[in-house]
Amino acid sequence: MDEGPPPAGRSWKNTLQKLRGRFKPEKNAAEVRVRRRRAMIQKLHQRLPFLKVLLFLVGYLWMVAIPYPDLGRTTYIDENALQPAQVSTYWDWADVHNADRYLDDLERLGDRNASSAELSEFVKTEFQKSGLPAATQKYTFSVGSTNVTGVNAYAVSSSPRASGNEAIVISASWIRRHEGGPTELNLRGVSAILALAKYLKGHSMWAKDLVFVVSDGYLDGMQAWLGSYHGSKQNNLQAEELLYASGVIWNALSIDYACHSFSHLGVFHEGLNGRLPNQDLINSFERISRFTGGVPVVLYDHAKNVVRHVGYQGPGRPSGIHGLFHPYRIDAFTIYAVCAQGPHGFHALGRVVESTLRTMNNLLERLHASFFFYILTDATYFNKIGSYLPSAILVSVGMMFHGLDIWVMSGWRLEEQPSEKVSSSSQERGWVSRQRPVLHALTIMMATHILGALVFGSLSLDNWQTLAPILFAVVAVVPLAALLLRSRHHSETAPVSTVLKALNLCFASTIISVISVLNFSLALLLAIALGIPLAISTPSSRLVQYPAYILLAAGWLLFLPEQTQSALWNWEVLSVWFAPVAAVVTLLPM
Amino acid sequence: MSSTLLQVGVVIPALTALRLGAHLAGASELLLHDQQLTTPLTSYSQLQEGLYLFNHGIDPYNGGTVRHSPLLLALFSSILPSSRDVAATLWALCDAIAAWALVQTWRARQNVSSSSRDGLVAAMYLLNPYIFLPTLALSTSSLENALLLLAVMFASQKKAAASLLSLAFLSHLSPNALLLLPPLVLILLTNPHSHLASPQKISFNAKKVAPLAAEFLLYTGVLTAASTLVAGSWRWIPQTWGTWFTLPDLTPNVGLWWYFFTEMFDHFRSFFLVVFSIHLLIYVAPLCIKFQHDPLYALFLLTGIIGAFKSYPTLADPGLFLSMTSIFPETFPYLRFPIVTSLLHLHSALLLPLFHHLWLTQGTGNANFYYASTLVFACSNGAAILDALWAGMRIAIGKDVDGYAVDQE
Amino acid sequence: MLPLTLFHYLLVALLGTFVRSSATQEDAARQFFARNGTSSHTNNWAVLVCTSRYWFNYRHMANALSMYRTIKRLGIPDSNIILMLADDASCNARNKFPGAVYANPGKHLDLYGENVEVDYRGRVEPSVSRSKRLLSDENSNIFIFMTGHGGNDFLKFQDNEEISSHDIADAFEQMYQKKRYNEIFFMVDTCQANSLYSQLYSPNILATGSSKVGENSYSHSSDKDLGVAVIDAYTHSVLEFLEGINKTSHATLQDLFGSIDPAKINSHPGVRSDLFQRPLDNTLITDFFGGVSQVEVADVAADDELEAEPEQQAFIPPHRQDPLLSC
Repeated sequence: MDEGPPPAGRSWKNTLQKLRGRFKPEKNAAEVRVRRRRAMIQKLHQRLPFLKVLLFLVGYLWMVAIPYPDLGRTTYIDENALQPAQVSTYWDWADVHNADRYLDDLERLGDRNASSAELSEFVKTEFQKSGLPAATQKYTFSVGSTNVTGVNAYAVSSSPRASGNEAIVISASWIRRHEGGPTELNLRGVSAILALAKYLKGHSMWAKDLVFVVSDGYLDGMQAWLGSYHGSKQNNLQAEELLYASGVIWNALSIDYACHSFSHLGVFHEGLNGRLPNQDLINSFERISRFTGGVPVVLYDHAKNVVRHVGYQGPGRPSGIHGLFHPYRIDAFTIYAVCAQGPHGFHALGRVVESTLRTMNNLLERLHASFFFYILTDATYFNKIGSYLPSAILVSVGMMFHGLDIWVMSGWRLEEQPSEKVSSSSQERGWVSRQRPVLHALTIMMATHILGALVFGSLSLDNWQTLAPILFAVVAVVPLAALLLRSRHHSETAPVSTVLKALNLCFASTIISVISVLNFSLALLLAIALGIPLAISTPSSRLVQYPAYILLAAGWLLFLPEQTQSALWNWEVLSVWFAPVAAVVTLLPM
Repeated sequence: MSSTLLQVGVVIPALTALRLGAHLAGASELLLHDQQLTTPLTSYSQLQEGLYLFNHGIDPYNGGTVRHSPLLLALFSSILPSSRDVAATLWALCDAIAAWALVQTWRARQNVSSSSRDGLVAAMYLLNPYIFLPTLALSTSSLENALLLLAVMFASQKKAAASLLSLAFLSHLSPNALLLLPPLVLILLTNPHSHLASPQKISFNAKKVAPLAAEFLLYTGVLTAASTLVAGSWRWIPQTWGTWFTLPDLTPNVGLWWYFFTEMFDHFRSFFLVVFSIHLLIYVAPLCIKFQHDPLYALFLLTGIIGAFKSYPTLADPGLFLSMTSIFPETFPYLRFPIVTSLLHLHSALLLPLFHHLWLTQGTGNANFYYASTLVFACSNGAAILDALWAGMRIAIGKDVDGYAVDQE
Repeated sequence: MLPLTLFHYLLVALLGTFVRSSATQEDAARQFFARNGTSSHTNNWAVLVCTSRYWFNYRHMANALSMYRTIKRLGIPDSNIILMLADDASCNARNKFPGAVYANPGKHLDLYGENVEVDYRGRVEPSVSRSKRLLSDENSNIFIFMTGHGGNDFLKFQDNEEISSHDIADAFEQMYQKKRYNEIFFMVDTCQANSLYSQLYSPNILATGSSKVGENSYSHSSDKDLGVAVIDAYTHSVLEFLEGINKTSHATLQDLFGSIDPAKINSHPGVRSDLFQRPLDNTLITDFFGGVSQVEVADVAADDELEAEPEQQAFIPPHRQDPLLSC
């Protein structure tokens, strides 16, 4: 370049020569290539330890950073058709008065401890008084040796001018959402449903049927109702068939309102097995509540909390009865009235629900697929998939690299060559390839998974309390017993433990990255639970290490009785697969 | 202990019984309509539909749903009952026969009457989830696999007539199998033994090719005539064979065609149909020439290629290729990146059902998700084929020597 | 296949099959009508297109319907108007006021209440009747109004296909070559609307759009009962001005363009007049919006026949949508 552009003829020849050189190099092309490849591999290999640590570090730091709003962005509405908060609402003090009247009746029934049948009969009668076709549904779950029975009540308000192929469900459960604490009746939620049914029926612009459901119990009633509605079978459930049906349910909202008045409306959205509803729905509700109802919206009941989200989504338990709709491809959430001394009550709630239903009514097609992957850090802040998914994936990639590294290393052995000079022994050592006992390692992995399946299979709601310590002992002892059986290690083959570690890391990495799309929180928990422990595990039998791993693998049997119980209940009643997966997948000792 | 456990006489009955057990436990019910295990051309429910129409005197090929061969309809309506349990037994038996054929092929290749690996070979076939699940879903691809392995077994045992008849029947059900004729004929003319480590020019009597080809054509003609007799007209041909090449049914499957042709503009469609169909042809000659010293290996590679690229594959098609690797243990040390391929397969095996679920059951994903997972699956199939190809050629060079590297030109 | 059907949609409507031969005597007519402005047309046509479907695009249907109402008021008969509505907002189950379409939040005026003749709701069939074709000739002034969702150089048709600015330019050129118009006034209300007239190249076309390239066009107001926006800002501004116009008005297009305030509508309307021969301040609004009956003065000495407007005679009972019956 310094000499300026060369004459055109020469540059053309040069180019030709270069091109020829590229296709027909003078040196042996294969040799060049092999050398280049070796150099590249060498470089990669040199930097691998650093890269692995970096991947783990960035991954875990990213996880910690997820709750910070800087990583996310404010929510927005993606679907044009929704048109949230664009309508004037006509829910009035007269309707509030109706709701209060229903509440009086319900409280009277509640005070004299009315039975499920009485309560549902009352709801059904009130629906009918409003001019809606209504019915009740009895159901019985047999869980272990106990039976859970109840009666649901529901009514269908047909769309005046559309075909009724699509429906929206507005629901409330008798028992309001609770997390292990004492149960509380959702009386105001139910009265709101009754008053809304009476009120909404009188409007002409519903393009979808409105289905009002008052389900018994907390989760069980809705599970039975939805099962019957969709004709799905469940072995331990006996439920009456539904008398009235409507079309495909697209959206549902449930109302949870127990105290006298509320200051905020909370949103609960996590469904069964970690499915989330379309974010547009929550965003619409947030705007409607803020602009139409004048009620600020919070995530859950007190504060923004990613930990809480992970707590619901990871184990796959629903954060309210809305979660039961999700397996049927229904986007649903719970409106939770956060108890306070004012200022809002039925008036605000009714208006917000009316407007939200109008928005749901506007939907013309299913909400867009891109809006199902998010983490809400606040009612108005969220993380897109691209800003949270990499955290778990990075850890998973780190595990994969580590596993592959160990795998490669396990195929080689440093062997001291018979040499004359002792001083430079390191120079004389040579790498000798050796066999890897893959089949052996795979058998052990398979055995641990079968052990996990057996442990899970033997647990049930009836016997888990007695069985747990025994199983814990079994899980603790079996690997030790296996140690005794272990054959002697030959120098021609790699130690089983190394190969096992490599395969375990690769397998766990795969599981984490695959699950991250389905249930990110679970992937997150797995990445935390498996990432470092599997990466640093060694075959040594140090006294501290072994119990630690056993605790990690099977400690839940002993130390988390409540969680174990609820996971089992969820599995048996709601088919949440967290429990079996946790039992089967994570039992990877040694 | 392990030697008795791994005997063929134990492995095959035990694993066949396991299939029946799984069926009785309700697995068929669950899997019958799974799009990864059955396609419109292999689905049991469509076979039942065809049988119903057939038995009621309605031409099953009049509508657009039945795409099974008339011979299958005739077989199931006249010879075999169509009860679900009997069908499950039959499908399990088919797998048993296929496993047995694979073992026989292995023995013929080793030129021994029995070996310690027999049980392992059978188990590799019967325990392969890609084989196991389509059988539970009563997909007719299990029957096709059995036919293919029978054809290979007979060829290895030099039973030309039986081998060609099996292949004719197989290509009647699935025309892609025609591509396997050249390597099969080569096996019949030479031998199935392993010559991978010592490649040499093939020598056989070229005059014998024509009679074998003629024999194959004769069988094909007879089967075609029989089908036409059964169906009463020629209408079955576009409905069965034609489907493979014109892709009228775009139901998602694990292959690469459906999404591509869903997105395709109509005026490019015929062009790409031709390209996709013809593309499979280009592998036959190179593989048969390169592996002329070991035609069984050429056939094995072609099976993998067909499994990866056919228009309506089920998991059983790539599964057959994976299971067939068990009869070529001599190549294992020379596989190029076996761990990477295994991990790819592990990923795709988990991603396929997951994304299918996200798209069609849970509704949080869309078709692109599932398509992405079929791409991963295609990659893992491709990686497996490349590994096998590399190993088949690399073995001839022998063990690694210090200071030397093997490179691919 | 896709572009072809799209092309049909517009072309069939614009071109029709009618070819009319007439001996014009421009000089005589021009002299005769000189006091009414400088236009030499003898008949007026209008094509009003709402390209959007679905309930939440209510305002686009209202845009087209309000324009329809205005030009009818100013004298273009139904027979000379091609009205394309992609969807039926009046009969939507979500419409709280079945059978009515309003363009203002107070719901003062039901645009659907009077005699509305919608020519196209869906696709064009090959055997479309003459009453639905643009039977214009070389003396026709045509007003073309389009509204919907668009972008740079395209307008979405029924959420399914697109019409590009090139398509439009070519269609106009074809009309020019076939002598199907005297002058065209092309008005678009959509996002980046000005891009749609950027490719025009045929003479005697005046074009205007609601927003610059890179700019959105916004809705004007929404009705809280209907729950949707009822009209777009640009169309609203145009209509506001046109409300003050009657058939005998001498207001010019310059006045119309001058009346639109970019600050009010949040976008910058554009005018393209380089293809147009006349000065804008000498072009009456009624040249396009009004059906000012102008006649050709035939040479009586040469020919006794006085040609009246043939379109009026070729009147075919309109395809009328009775809102009350169809909802």
